[in-house]
Amino acid sequence: MRILFLIFNRLLWFIPTLLGLLVLIFTISHIIPADPVAFFAGENATNEQIAELRAFYGFDKPLYIQLWNYMIAVFQGDLGVSLYTQRPISQDMFARLPATLELTLVSVFVSTIIGVPLGVIAAVKRNSLIDHVLRLITVSGLAIASFWMAILFQLLFSMELAITPLQGRIDGWGPDHITGFFLIDSLIVGDWELFWSAASHLILPVATLAFPAMATIVRFTRSGVLDAINSNYVLYEQAMGFPERIIIWKYVLRNALIGTVTQIGLIFGILIAGTVVVEAIFNWPGLGLYAVNSILNSDYNAIMGFTLTTGAMFIGVNLAVDVIQSLIDPRNQG
Amino acid sequence: MFKINTVKYLALTVAISLTGAFIAPGNVEAKNKFVFANSSPYDTLDPHTVYDVGRVATRINLYDGLMSWMDNPPQLQPTLAESYTISDDALSYTFTLRKGTKFHDGSTLEADDVVYSMERLLGMKKGAFSLFSNIIEPGTTKALDSNTVQFNLTERSSVFLATVPALSIVNADLVKSHEVNGDWGAVWLSQNEAGSGSFALSRYDPAIGFSAKRFPDHFQGWGDKYLDEIEFRPVVEVNSRVLGLMNGDFHGTDGYLPQDQVKRLAASDNVNVLAEESMRIFYSIINNGRKPFDDINLRKAISYSFDYDSFINDILSGSAARNVGPSPNNIWGSPSDVTGYTYDLEKAKEHLALVKGPVREITIGALAGYQQTEQAAALLQNGLNKIGLKTKIVAEPWSVASAKMRNEQEMYDLLFLWKSTYYADPNNWMGELYACNQIGARNNSWYCNPEVDALLTEARVNPDQAVRAANYEKAYKLIVEDAAGVFIYNTKWFGPYNKSVKGVRFSPIGNAQEMRWIYME
Repeated sequence: MRILFLIFNRLLWFIPTLLGLLVLIFTISHIIPADPVAFFAGENATNEQIAELRAFYGFDKPLYIQLWNYMIAVFQGDLGVSLYTQRPISQDMFARLPATLELTLVSVFVSTIIGVPLGVIAAVKRNSLIDHVLRLITVSGLAIASFWMAILFQLLFSMELAITPLQGRIDGWGPDHITGFFLIDSLIVGDWELFWSAASHLILPVATLAFPAMATIVRFTRSGVLDAINSNYVLYEQAMGFPERIIIWKYVLRNALIGTVTQIGLIFGILIAGTVVVEAIFNWPGLGLYAVNSILNSDYNAIMGFTLTTGAMFIGVNLAVDVIQSLIDPRNQG
Repeated sequence: MFKINTVKYLALTVAISLTGAFIAPGNVEAKNKFVFANSSPYDTLDPHTVYDVGRVATRINLYDGLMSWMDNPPQLQPTLAESYTISDDALSYTFTLRKGTKFHDGSTLEADDVVYSMERLLGMKKGAFSLFSNIIEPGTTKALDSNTVQFNLTERSSVFLATVPALSIVNADLVKSHEVNGDWGAVWLSQNEAGSGSFALSRYDPAIGFSAKRFPDHFQGWGDKYLDEIEFRPVVEVNSRVLGLMNGDFHGTDGYLPQDQVKRLAASDNVNVLAEESMRIFYSIINNGRKPFDDINLRKAISYSFDYDSFINDILSGSAARNVGPSPNNIWGSPSDVTGYTYDLEKAKEHLALVKGPVREITIGALAGYQQTEQAAALLQNGLNKIGLKTKIVAEPWSVASAKMRNEQEMYDLLFLWKSTYYADPNNWMGELYACNQIGARNNSWYCNPEVDALLTEARVNPDQAVRAANYEKAYKLIVEDAAGVFIYNTKWFGPYNKSVKGVRFSPIGNAQEMRWIYME
C-alpha cells in the first residue's frame, strides 16, 4: 500500500515537472536568434517566401501564444510535425527510440553487472593492489572524454585489430520491425546471424557508454559496502559463523546497493544524454543523432519532442528507482 | 577479513567483455552494391521540398529532369526532353518529351506530369521554388499534348533554361493519390518516391538512409557496366566517414573533407582520391550598406589585409584555387585578366588613411563548426589588427547566421562563407549576390551599384550569349574594383572512392553523386 502511495505521489509530480521542462526548453529554443524557416527555405528563398512560411507555421505570433498553442497540442497528444520532413514528430521519434533504448539499456546492464561486483571486490580488498588498480581504472573511466575514447576504440578494435564493426547498428537494414530492438527481433525470428551482427555492433558504443558508468557504480558500491561491513549486524553474523560469501553477497550487498541503485537511475539519464555524442561517432540511428540534427536545423518541434521524451523517460526511471529502493529498504516507503 | 574468489570473478568479467570481440565485423561486400557515406541526413525524399547540395543524391538518382547538367565544366543537355523551342518574344519555352519514358511504377511519363510537378513546386513554396517564383505564375504551365509542355514566363529570363534541371518530374497520378487535405502528397512523398530516375527506391529509413535498385527500363538504357544497387547513409562524423571508407564499409564519401583527412585517405591502400576544380567560391560578405563599410577605402583596406597566399598554401595546403572575384574562375563570364587584391598592408594603410571618420570595432562573422571560416576570420583579424583596426570574431551556427544575413541590423560587418553551384550560370553568383533587387534576400552585402545592376539585369534577360558574357565580365570587374567582398578561393573537389569504383563523372551540380555512370571492378 505504501508503495502504491509512493507511485501515486511521484506521478502527481510528473505533470508539473514535465510542464516546467516544456516551458523552459520552449523558451530557450525560441529565443536563440535562429530562424528555422530561413534555414529550411534555403539560401535561394525570397523574403516573401520566408514570411509566408513563417506565417504558415505560426512563427509570426508572439512567443507566449506559440507556447500556449504548443502546450494545448501536447496535452492532446500531438507533438507537432517536423519543419523539414512534414512527418509527425512522434513518428520520427518512435522510429528511433528503440535504437537508443537498446544501446542505453545494454550499457546500464553491462556497467551494472561489471561495476557492482568490482565495487564489492574493491571494498573487500581495500587498500590492496587490486583496489588501487580498480581505483586507477575507475578514475580513468570518469576522466576520459567519451568522444575521445570512442575514436580510440574504433582505431584499435575496428581498424587495427579488425575484430569489431566500426559503425552502424547492424549489417544491412536489420530485421523487420517487431519491437524495434534488434537483439530481441532477431531472436524472435530465430535469425542468429542477425543477432550476432546486432550484438557485435553494440560492443564499441556500449563499451564507450558503459565504461564511465561502470566507474561510477564501482565507486558507489565500494563506498556502500565499506559502510555496511563496519556495521554491528555484520560483526554479529561473523560471530555466528555465517560464511563470508553469504554475509557479503546476501546481507552486506543488499544494504550497500541502496546508494548504487540511486546512481544507476541517474546514470540512465546521463547515458541518454551521452548517446548524443556516441551515436554521432558510431553512426547509431537513434534519438541522440536525431537530437543533434534537430538542434543544427533549429527544428523546434523535434527539439521539444526529444526533450519531453527523454524527460519523461528520466522521470519514469527515477520512479522505478524509488520503487526498487523501497523494496530493498522498506524504511524508504514513506 | 573476507575472501572471495577474485581471480575467478575477474576471469568471468573479462570473458563477458570480450565475448563480442571475436565476432567478425561485417563489411559491405555485396558485389555491384555501392554504399555512400553522406554528411547530411536524408530526412526527406521529397524532391520539391529540399534543394540543397547535401541531399542531391535523392533528386538525381530517383528522379529525372527535363534537362540536366553533366560533367565539368557543366554542360546542359536534354534529358526527359528531347528538344525545346523558345518563342520569338522569349516568353514561352516549349519542350518535347521523349516518348515512352516510364516511371518506376510502369506508367508513362507525360506532359501532365511535368505540369503537375511545376504546380506542386510553386504551390509548396519550398526547395527550388524561388528559382521560378518570379517568372512563372501558378496555372500558366500547359500540356499542349501528351508529349509537349509549355512554360510561359511573366518576363524574359535567359537564366530559365539553366534552372530547368532543378525541376524534378514526379508521377502526378501516384502523388495525387496520396494527397491529404491539399498537402500535395507531402507527407507521403517525404518517405516514398514517384520518379523515373536511374534507380528505384527499395528501402528508406530517415535514420539510416535509403537504398535503391537499378531501374532496368530507364529511358537512357544501360551499358555493360553498372551498379545493381546503391545505398546512401548519413554519417555525420567526418572521422567515421573516413575510417569507414578506409576499412571498406563505404565505397565513397563527400569530396569536401578537411585536407588532413584527404591526405589520410590518399595514403590508404583502399582509396583513390579524384580531384577536380569545382564551382564553389569562398569569400567574405562585407556589409556595404552599413557605415563605415559604405566607404570604398575601408573595403579596400580590408581586402588588402587578408593573407590570401598563407590561407590557401599553408592553412589549406594548396588545396584550393585562388579566385579573385565574385564568380568561379572556370565559368564563362569570369574575366581572366583581373588580378584582384593581394596581402599588402602598406596599401591597406594607405586606403585606411583615406577613410572619412573613425572606424569602430569590426564584427567578423564565422560559421561555427566550419573550421575554415573560423581560420579565415582569425587570419583577417590578424591583418586588420596590424593596420590598427579593432575586431571581434563571432562564430555562430548556420541556422543563426542565415537568419542574421537577411536582417540589415543584425547582419555581421563581415561573414565568411561559401557560395555553391545550383545552376551553372554566372547569375548563380553575381546576379544573386550583387543585384539590387536581391538585397536582403540573396544579396546579403546590401551592395547596390546602379552600373553593375544594369549589367546584371540585362544579362539576366538578353538571349545573346556573347552580350551576357561581356556584361558579366564588366560586372565582375566593377564588383572587384568596389571591393564589395573579400574574394578568396574556388574550391577543389577531392572525391574519395574505394579503388574498385570506376566511372565517376563529376559535375559541380551534383558533386559526382549521379550513380548511373559508376561501376565496380
